[in-house]
Amino acid sequence: MWLCVYLPALPLEALIDTPEPAAVFEEQQGIRKILLANASARAAGIGPGLTINAALALFSALRLDERNPVREARVLKDLAEWSEKFTSFVCVEAPSVLLLEIAGSLTLFGGIRTLRQRIVRELDSQGFHAGVAIAPTPLAATWLARAGRKVCIRDPGNLAGRLRTLPVTCLGWPDSITALLKGMGITSVGEALRLPRQGFAKRFGAGRLLDLDRALGRLPDPRVSYRMPERFIADYDLNEEESDAGLLLNICQELLARLERFLLSRQLAVQNIDFSFFHLQMPATGLSIGCVQADRAVQHWFDLLEIKFARLALPAPVIAIQLCAGQGQQFTAKSGMLQFEGQHKKQQSTSIAQLAERLSARIGDELVHGVMAVAEHRPQYAWQPRSNFEDIPHCANVSSWQVSAHSPGLLAEAHRTNSLVLQRPLWVLQEPELLVVESGVPHYQGPLKLLKGPERIETGWWDDDGIARDYYVAVNPAGVHLWVYRNRDKDRNRWFLHGKFG
Amino acid sequence: MSAYAELHALSNFTFLRGASHPEELVETAARLGYEALAITDECTVSGVVRAHVAAKESGLQKLIIGSEFRFDTGLKLVVLARNRAGYAQLCRLISRGRRAAKKGSYKVTAEDFADGLNNCVVLWVPDNQLLLGAEDAWILDAFCDRLWIAVELLADGLERLRMERLRNLGEALDLPLVASGDVHMHCRERRFLQDTVTAIREGVTLDRAGFALYPNGERYLRPREVLGSIYPGEWLQEACVVAETIQFSLDELRYEYPNELVPDGETSTSYLRKLTEEGMRKRWPDRVPAKVMALVEYELKLIRELQYEPYFLTVFDIVAFARSQDILCQGRGSAANSAVCFCLGITEVDPERMATLVERFISKERNEPPDIDVDFEHERREEVIQYIYRKYGRERAALAATVITYRPRSALRDVGKALGLSGLQVDRLAKSMQWWDGTEVDESRVLEAGLDPASPLIRRLLYLVRHLIGFPRHLSQHVGGFVISNGPLFELVPVENAAMDDRTVIQWEKNDLQDLGLLKVDVLGLGMLTAIRRSFDLIREFDGREYTLATVPAEDPVVYDMICEGDTMGVFQIESRAQMAMLPRLKPRCYYDLVIEVAIIRPGPIQGDMVHPYLRRRSGEEAVEYPSEEVREVLQRTLGVPIFQEQVMQLAVVAAGFTPGEADRLRRAMAAWKRRGGLGPFEKKLTEGMQARGYTEEFANQIFKQILGFGEYGFPESHSASFALLVYVSCWLKRHTPAAFTCALLNSQPMGFYSASQLTQDARRHGVEVRPADINESGWDSSLEPAVNSEPALRLGLRQVKGLSEEAGRTVVAQRERAYQSVQELLEKTGLNRRELSALAAAGALKSLAGHRHKVRWTVAGVEETTPLFSSLDRYEAIPMLRRPTEGQDIVADYQSLGLTLGRHPLALIRPYLDRHRYVSASRLGEISNGKRIRIAGLVITKQRPGTASGVTFVTLEDETGCSNLIVWKKIADEQRDVLLNARLMGVQGELQKEGKVIHVIARRLIDHSGLLGELTVNSRDFR
Repeated sequence: MWLCVYLPALPLEALIDTPEPAAVFEEQQGIRKILLANASARAAGIGPGLTINAALALFSALRLDERNPVREARVLKDLAEWSEKFTSFVCVEAPSVLLLEIAGSLTLFGGIRTLRQRIVRELDSQGFHAGVAIAPTPLAATWLARAGRKVCIRDPGNLAGRLRTLPVTCLGWPDSITALLKGMGITSVGEALRLPRQGFAKRFGAGRLLDLDRALGRLPDPRVSYRMPERFIADYDLNEEESDAGLLLNICQELLARLERFLLSRQLAVQNIDFSFFHLQMPATGLSIGCVQADRAVQHWFDLLEIKFARLALPAPVIAIQLCAGQGQQFTAKSGMLQFEGQHKKQQSTSIAQLAERLSARIGDELVHGVMAVAEHRPQYAWQPRSNFEDIPHCANVSSWQVSAHSPGLLAEAHRTNSLVLQRPLWVLQEPELLVVESGVPHYQGPLKLLKGPERIETGWWDDDGIARDYYVAVNPAGVHLWVYRNRDKDRNRWFLHGKFG
Repeated sequence: MSAYAELHALSNFTFLRGASHPEELVETAARLGYEALAITDECTVSGVVRAHVAAKESGLQKLIIGSEFRFDTGLKLVVLARNRAGYAQLCRLISRGRRAAKKGSYKVTAEDFADGLNNCVVLWVPDNQLLLGAEDAWILDAFCDRLWIAVELLADGLERLRMERLRNLGEALDLPLVASGDVHMHCRERRFLQDTVTAIREGVTLDRAGFALYPNGERYLRPREVLGSIYPGEWLQEACVVAETIQFSLDELRYEYPNELVPDGETSTSYLRKLTEEGMRKRWPDRVPAKVMALVEYELKLIRELQYEPYFLTVFDIVAFARSQDILCQGRGSAANSAVCFCLGITEVDPERMATLVERFISKERNEPPDIDVDFEHERREEVIQYIYRKYGRERAALAATVITYRPRSALRDVGKALGLSGLQVDRLAKSMQWWDGTEVDESRVLEAGLDPASPLIRRLLYLVRHLIGFPRHLSQHVGGFVISNGPLFELVPVENAAMDDRTVIQWEKNDLQDLGLLKVDVLGLGMLTAIRRSFDLIREFDGREYTLATVPAEDPVVYDMICEGDTMGVFQIESRAQMAMLPRLKPRCYYDLVIEVAIIRPGPIQGDMVHPYLRRRSGEEAVEYPSEEVREVLQRTLGVPIFQEQVMQLAVVAAGFTPGEADRLRRAMAAWKRRGGLGPFEKKLTEGMQARGYTEEFANQIFKQILGFGEYGFPESHSASFALLVYVSCWLKRHTPAAFTCALLNSQPMGFYSASQLTQDARRHGVEVRPADINESGWDSSLEPAVNSEPALRLGLRQVKGLSEEAGRTVVAQRERAYQSVQELLEKTGLNRRELSALAAAGALKSLAGHRHKVRWTVAGVEETTPLFSSLDRYEAIPMLRRPTEGQDIVADYQSLGLTLGRHPLALIRPYLDRHRYVSASRLGEISNGKRIRIAGLVITKQRPGTASGVTFVTLEDETGCSNLIVWKKIADEQRDVLLNARLMGVQGELQKEGKVIHVIARRLIDHSGLLGELTVNSRDFR
């Protein structure tokens, strides 16, 4: 006995929970069209198939979201988890159907009617509008639910009669097939069933014939149950309390080896793993390890573990060790860069990534970050910290001299070539410092002499932090070279210190 | 203050780099007192003619023509034309660079400069390396004494170093140094726009554009005292010295028409006379009317004086080619309506017929070049174009360019992206700015789009968009404006690749050519000519009657009767909804009435409020008055109301004292006033000029308003006169040979206002028998078949079948030695695939082979594609019982596949329902009296919201008896926007409005009845 939950508005309900007019759109052949609209949007005349422009013409403050199949899949999975309280056998039929085998649950939940009411009510309270139908075969239940028939068929003998009146459009067959059927005047399942079987299979495919037979219970329709997503958890019980680091590490290594086998067999990789060291009288000590790229190689994890473990002060001897690995990620080609660039480069790039990891492991994640020279004329934006674990953002193509001109590290090299390179101090103040001006001359530990300039920088007007400044290289009596500026448009007499040359 | 000449300046014709119009640069340079300004756009001279005109007006001392080139090696050169020969060298260089790369880009190498450009000046602009790389050292030898080092000091903090290094470099290489500014804009404030176009060019947002942006706004035309504080005086002086060596103006360009058109022993004058006289004898075999004789003599004299013979011979040659290929054509334009052109066969409009038309011909005083556009059958225009290329070669013939500029919507899109707005936000804004007038934005609409109008972001956006509008984006090809020259074109203007293969365009557009007095021939395509030629062919094949444009019987009263009824669906020009409604009021009874009719229902006259005064005067409700005798002469033929573009210009001359040249510039300004935001100095001159000549202020203002109304749409009488002939001929065909005319229209689709469905329904209402598309009867095209009465029947062609390729359709016809007996046989003979068979099945074209549509589809679906030739249909397969399709299903299928049905109209099927709800049919509207409240329903076939009708939407509904016209006022349209947008079958409650034979329904309430149609899809044709 199968209960089908069909969620016709899932693309909308998965994304939008507002009474204001809102709709989900989808791009079809380059045209963005409304897929589903909520009640208040429908009241404004906005419905499926409308182009976005037409919809906005009807209601310009319409909230619009692009359909998100990933989100839908996640919501459907959540609902599958939720429905496991009604039965142990739940199937997920993407994109919008759940099938519950309920034969065994009927007595538990007080009969078919009560169960069904409860499912509908609970879905409704979670904000999901569902069509629910019950039938002896999974396909029949699905078709009936899609057709919006709130039926409950217990007797397989009644199946054929009830299916006969269903429109072929609710069978989930490709549009080309239903259009073909319609072109022959065949719009209901009953009419399709009357066609000669051989001719039917030839024109619409043997799979369609199989569907009909399965729905009617003429052929078996085995289903695979939905299971909880896989997580790796492995324990190792020590027979007695143990505090020998070498031994503990060996055990950890064995656990990692099990993780590796687990991941390999599933084509997965993980980015974070957690060890827990259990003690007899105290709460367990945790140790988390993350790496830049999802990985499954035991040696790599073990190297990182060794470093962290050395700094770990265990408060008591250990009685058991547990290894948990986070949600598995597909082992994607994130590391493709390494494979791509050939052998000798591989060595180099890995070492930088690994250096960052090792540094993080030693002194803590929050203290290690890279410095990035940003392609930006404004000095306050020209250097930015970046975390190790981010990808470098894409920047516009810039000609090489411009890049090198602003990269502090390359400053020294400039003297070797003939080209003109802008001078930038190695030490830039986070906030420019207002300088004292005496009789028109700026002072910083004495009056300043302007050596070079002005270098005019006026840009950044597109955000609220635009500047228009004239920068100069100046020197004070002590011989310190300074980077100072004044604003072009206002307060031309006010001078600021922005950096010091090394 | 030191004197200065700017030798390196880019305008916005260096697309997405320059941030000022050429005119702005020129005007600013003149104001700053520069000795000279060079416009040196990157590998183009597209902007120089505008600069040239502006230089004359603003009094700039000297305009220098040049171009900037960047090499793959990083080398950057600026080349300036020193004289006419240098200009030719420059044009050739640009042409080479452009032709060597794909459209929109260029590529130059040292080889292209090998000739040394001995009549040019070359500036080398060093980059920050301040070195002449080994691979670039060739410039020293190539240009020797013509080469300068350009020193560009732009406040990057390194000026002192740069000057020192360059001074050394100059000494080492023995090159003189000169100051220049790498100008990208005319004033510093344009840096915002300059940054923005840079981001657009790089395809990134501004905050990601990084070093692609300039660090500051120094690349503007700097005042001379500022320059004096930056550059050493000798370098500024050097710029003036360089400028002084340059002596070239675009005025020197002389244009020579091809001379090979004149046979040996003839001069172009004698040859044109000979051809004209030959033509005259053909047109009037018996006796040439004296009036025509005199006219021809007058025209030939004028042509000789202005030396325009080659132009007429060139056009004649093209038209003669078309005629030899049986391609229908018709000339229009000022010179086209001359007696000479009639004799030469360039136009078919008999000068006698045009008695009332004051000929404009060629104005000697204005020295305006003659203007002839020739329309050809749209499907065969390419043959004519290829003929021109063949005859003159790519070196001597090319299309004029059209500069595509930023419009509000495209500007908004690009600026929005550069500022980091999402595509959706930009879409919303674009939507809300549909009625943006270019300067102000309705804040509530910005708010509606979910953005805050007061936010800095939106203020920046609007500022930038406002300035970006009108900027050139790219060059496109003019629809058909050909320039043909005697010598190589690329010595006159650079030639570059167009988007289409085998097309080349010059870098100037139509107005540029006119400004320099260069001539062009417009070779245009016109769908109606195709339809008319096909009608003539069909008539000849059917019963042997032979017609041409000239021999269709003239001034047939029954044709005018039909026109007066507004029964003009499918004919040329006067078929639109607005035209049809006007016809019963205007009651055209002669050729000249048609000339007016073509011009009058256009945005120009409507906006200027000229239509109704003309109608009132024509019906005698209003007296015709003229403020003066001069004005009477100009306006008499249109009852005192200016309707044609020529009249407006003549008025400016006779009433406001314009010179003919000024009047011509006024015409140009008229076309652009919306973009520029006014007519500028013309407005004052016009109103003051008229008042000074004793006209009332009221009259002056009225004329001014009318000129604004004309805008870009003002229609010239000279074009209208030629179009009127096609109007008349198409009406004659519709009236006398409706089957042939409809057939020709169907075979020429897509064209015109109406769909195949409407055209066939109209034909059937006029008694034409229309027969269905059939695998055994139809050709690829629709055709005529004998019918019981003398009128032919129209057989729909397989081309109407949606989804059937022309190749497949023609194969079906070619393989049909005798009627196909079965789907199997069809398959064996033609090898059609299942998709093509399905298309035929869907169209009902296989009915004679396999029965009703449901059966046919079953049969066709059983075809196995893998072995189409061998027994792919199982002959012994069981055939199921399939329901016959209902009438409704057949109608739906007809519409889906053929776009029309020969069955009953869908509304006939639901008439009982409509009757119950008291909806009347369209045919009964005539019996109902004015002002009555009625209900009517129909398929929505057109929706039109003309920009001129202040928010009114015109909707045409169609039912089984005909069409009805709705007027939906703005209020109703806003309230019921969803119905108006979405309804396919619309019901209306409203009021009947009758004015003579013109019937409208004023909508009070709209009801969406689309549900009644089921799956029928009727696409409304929406016009704005």
